[in-house]
Amino acid sequence: MGQIKFQLPPEEILAPGHFACPGCGGTLTMRYLLKALGRKTVVVIPACCWSVIDGPVPYSAAGVPVFHTAFETAASTACGIKAGLESQGDHETTVVAFAGDGGTFDIGFQALSGAAERNEDFMYICYDNEAYMNTGIQRSSATPFGAWTTTTPAESPKAENKKNMVEILAAHRIPYLATASVAYPDDMIAKIQKAHDIHGFRFIHVFSPCPPGWKFEPEDSIKISRMAIESKVFPLLEIFNGVDYRLSREPAGTPVTDYIKMQGRFRHLGEKQIEQIQTYVDEEWERLVRKLAPEQHLHQPESRVASKAAKVILAKSQSRKGATS
Amino acid sequence: MAKYKYTTVEEMPPLAFSLESTRKIPTGSWRHVRPVYKNKTSPCEVGCPAGEKIPEYFELLRQKRYEEAWYKILEDNPLPGVTGRVCYHPCEGQCNRKPYDEGVAIHNIERFVADQNLRNKKLPRVSESPKSEKVAIIGSGPAGLSCAYQLARKGYHAVIYEADHEPGGMLRYGIPDYRLPKKILDKEIADIESTGVEIRPDSRIGGSVAWSELEKYDAVFVAVGAMRSRKMDVPGEDMKGVFTGVDFLWEINNGDVPKIGRNVLVVGGGNTAIDAARTAVRLGKKATILYRRTRTEMPAVPEEIEEAEKEGVRFEFLVAPVKVTGSKGKVSRIELMRMKLGEPDASGRRKPVPVKGSNFQVAADTIISAIGEEPDLSFLPYSFLKKGVRLFVDDDYSTGVPGIFAGGDAATNPNGTVVNAIRAGKEAATSIDEFLGWRTKSNGTPHEVVRPEDVNTFYFPHESRVKVPRIPVAKSKTGFHEVNKTLSEAQALDEADRCFTCGTCLHCDVCMTFCPDVAISKDESGEYVIDYDHCKGCGICVNECPREAMELVPEGSREEVEEAQQV
Repeated sequence: MGQIKFQLPPEEILAPGHFACPGCGGTLTMRYLLKALGRKTVVVIPACCWSVIDGPVPYSAAGVPVFHTAFETAASTACGIKAGLESQGDHETTVVAFAGDGGTFDIGFQALSGAAERNEDFMYICYDNEAYMNTGIQRSSATPFGAWTTTTPAESPKAENKKNMVEILAAHRIPYLATASVAYPDDMIAKIQKAHDIHGFRFIHVFSPCPPGWKFEPEDSIKISRMAIESKVFPLLEIFNGVDYRLSREPAGTPVTDYIKMQGRFRHLGEKQIEQIQTYVDEEWERLVRKLAPEQHLHQPESRVASKAAKVILAKSQSRKGATS
Repeated sequence: MAKYKYTTVEEMPPLAFSLESTRKIPTGSWRHVRPVYKNKTSPCEVGCPAGEKIPEYFELLRQKRYEEAWYKILEDNPLPGVTGRVCYHPCEGQCNRKPYDEGVAIHNIERFVADQNLRNKKLPRVSESPKSEKVAIIGSGPAGLSCAYQLARKGYHAVIYEADHEPGGMLRYGIPDYRLPKKILDKEIADIESTGVEIRPDSRIGGSVAWSELEKYDAVFVAVGAMRSRKMDVPGEDMKGVFTGVDFLWEINNGDVPKIGRNVLVVGGGNTAIDAARTAVRLGKKATILYRRTRTEMPAVPEEIEEAEKEGVRFEFLVAPVKVTGSKGKVSRIELMRMKLGEPDASGRRKPVPVKGSNFQVAADTIISAIGEEPDLSFLPYSFLKKGVRLFVDDDYSTGVPGIFAGGDAATNPNGTVVNAIRAGKEAATSIDEFLGWRTKSNGTPHEVVRPEDVNTFYFPHESRVKVPRIPVAKSKTGFHEVNKTLSEAQALDEADRCFTCGTCLHCDVCMTFCPDVAISKDESGEYVIDYDHCKGCGICVNECPREAMELVPEGSREEVEEAQQV
């Protein structure tokens, strides 16, 4: 088997010279997105880092049409553009809403929820850097427990856990929902391409580290992303129709401390709080495991009960499929 | 269908448009460190006494370019079929994969490459133009062969004087067939001869050939090895039934079968002792190894000890011979004394200390003493500086007598193993080249060696080391068939894939994959090009490189960086 290598589509659509900070995870997300979808793509960007990264007028880095729109309107603008293209007879171009966590979890949420509920035919990518980075690192509902931001200073860091956006969207029963990470580009590209072939509302939640916002050296961007996956902080998964959960990668289960300790935004945390984070991560993982499809439990013998629950879910979803056909 | 009234941009209401690419914005000016490609040295290469370029020949092997892989090994070692079988492989001890899971089976791969070329007679061309100087080499063991071969490659006429009828020294007469079949040795010696080396058998210096004959040469390399077993220094060791390990193996390798009894006791813990015991087993005898320390301190190769055990060789640790007794001049018993381990000695191993009053007797009809070998230097016409029983040589293998160099087991520089002898021969050839004025002395560039923590192990999923195929024990202990087999092609390729290839870029594209600034691309020749006009110096490429073939250097003038790249 030898070394892990990544087979990515060779075409580079993203141009260099963009305004991203060194080591930006959100920029890698865009690079892989464009590689996966090719040039027949329209990107809708609300207020977020990418409003700046794409470049000042008259420059643009994306290499495909980009529509900059207001903070709360990524999903509704994407709906409109998709409808516009359809009305011109263009059924091929993929419309992608590309928003940060602020524009997804908070400000853009009602437009997003509406589009998901109506099962609009476009792809929504959230590059999640866990705070309002572009405006100067203010907390968002995607900021994890214990993290420093300028609005949750070290003396009183964020007291709430990160909002579980994946679960909220799963509850919308959208056809395709996935999580991805810049450290696993082949997995991300495969998911984007899979989403491309699915009709209806597709949502991909991408873990995108931010060196200045999380306070780490830019060279560690990929390493930190990988640690988030391997420590179960951010599981890589796919959810079909909101019920059929599939794990994309079995995490190594490394302690969260290794992940936490690499980032300045967690520097003020004591052992006790880190332990609290570990407990939360473990509990969330357990909850997720219970939802996995049964064949995913072959290597998880301790969660037999969960496997039963998953079987029930699967049986229900199959009977529903059977009823419609 | 709605109709659009705009046909040109001018007709549209005002809206900011960006039609230019950001490529025009030179974000490279943000950078304060710059990534550069810089290959480093792998620890195995440093660990190999012969200095084989292991990552390079592994890469050729992975591309199934077996002949080129062979040539790559031959640059440093003309006997890969030999070392692939009998080397104690210190390279594997240094392997960065060892602390991760298991070291790569480098010597098995070396053997595979050599065996792929068993029928290949094309040796690399002599690298330099022929020179008029002639060099004499005394002894055709691994040191002599290696030196003669390297001299021939440098264009010299090298003549080896061999006292015995056939060349090879300890390789032929000290190592049994089941570890090193003669046909492998013959093939590789023939290869060496085909480079222009002349071997004169039955030419013992101080015997059939006078030392004065060497005076017509421009330089001499003394590589007579250590072919004489050391004495146990106990009463009765001259009795019938007591053999020395070297003599015993010599006879076997010469096709004779020495007369030995059913109950063979071998004294010693080195490879000669193991070889003697395993040979005795093959002759249908019961063999027991007596060693004065414990298994941990045994100098023999661990795999050989295991093999001996599998074949039924018994071990008695912490015992030393005191006296050999018998009747009518024939051995019947040996008196032994118990030992215990004391403080570490100069070799770093714990010293055996006798336990008083612990003497006991054991019945024995054959005793083989294999407690170490020493060189026979009686043929030298005048006195050389010695250290102990060996010729004292400087780091450049010079003996103090101008033009006379020495190496291998006869000399003080690294000795005791085949690969150390090969190294001595190779390095002495360089020194001789310098002595004869064809090359100036160089101090060599310091190695920047890749450490285990420099390897990005994420890219290397755990995989276990190849299991070396071997013939069944039942068969191995009844004859002199070679015990270990050569890896199959699939096994060799899989094992080579386990190699991290520390420090050498394999063009795996990881750097390119993770560049957020799209600043790394490949040119027509497949080499990476960094676009320094746009690279912001984030360092992800350097940090993610699986094998430490890149580094970050402080931003300076272009000249400074280019200079750094060339080192």
